[in-house]
Amino acid sequence: MSLTRLRLLLWLMVGAVGIGLVALVWRQSDPQRSASTSLGTIGGPFTLIGTDGKPFASSKLIGKPSAIFFGFTHCPDVCPTTLARLTKLRKQLGKGQDAFSIVLISVDPERDTPADLREYVTLFDTPVIALTGSAAQVEQVKKQFGAFSRKVEQPGGGYNVEHTAAVMLMDEKGDFVATLTPEEGDQVALDKLERITA
Amino acid sequence: MKRALPICFALLVAACGQNGEPDIQLGNAWARPTRGDSPGAVYVAINNKGSADDRLTGAFSDHAAMAMVHQSELVDGVATMRMAGEINVPAGSRIEMVPGGTHIMLEGLRAPLKTGDSFELVLKFRKSGDRKVTVDVTKAEQK
Repeated sequence: MSLTRLRLLLWLMVGAVGIGLVALVWRQSDPQRSASTSLGTIGGPFTLIGTDGKPFASSKLIGKPSAIFFGFTHCPDVCPTTLARLTKLRKQLGKGQDAFSIVLISVDPERDTPADLREYVTLFDTPVIALTGSAAQVEQVKKQFGAFSRKVEQPGGGYNVEHTAAVMLMDEKGDFVATLTPEEGDQVALDKLERITA
Repeated sequence: MKRALPICFALLVAACGQNGEPDIQLGNAWARPTRGDSPGAVYVAINNKGSADDRLTGAFSDHAAMAMVHQSELVDGVATMRMAGEINVPAGSRIEMVPGGTHIMLEGLRAPLKTGDSFELVLKFRKSGDRKVTVDVTKAEQK
């Protein structure tokens, strides 16, 4: 290849990158595109069963932001730790227990009866809304929230449930805002809670 | 060369020092309360003040049918749990179990753990043998 042809080829490549960059900037500055994200698809109305054994409609959560967590009462480490963290964060936020609802949705409806959940939440020194339901109801809610869980048989009998660790933060209208994950520091978590309770 | 000999000897002695004894001390053992037949999780601080490594190989308690060294892990955002196997406790190191990581899982508790209660747990070490520690049941929202 002659030097002139090589030079031409290189310039063509520079040109292609330039066109790509312009296209990228144009795409990002398109207001319609940046306004529509897929966040709106997480959540939505659902019906489960409350600790009183009666149907619990998600409309009861509207009017106050909420922190929704998928867990189960036979979970020794991660679930009580997450609820303890939410309890602590709600105190640190300093806006009282009404600032946002802490909601636990059981991913183990087979074992978690409303009575079990009622007893479980009394372990925490703060109001927690605990919900269970039929297997189909829980499956449906998991799907709406993009939450994952699966049963894992244990060697000594019984089973553990693996589940999404993130807490879903919803605003007072019930719209998804952000997640709280175990890895992020408390300051990041507090900033997010500050935002949904502003 | 002659001058280097004592240095070589000193290095050899230092290396031999690795064959000393581990000195395992347990402390700060706590658990959250539990309900019904749910398993519990105990968190312990292990201090090896000795000059040799040791390994945590297992645990048992009169308060539970089974005690296992467990590890919670986050895999692609999903909380999972597995047996931890043996845990190395190097000479001069301190391992503090914290929620969301390594813990002693108690399966088949004789009675649910209640805030304010305490019970004994034994951790088994390869060299140091069985070491006892008292576990305090804290409030659920502690730590």
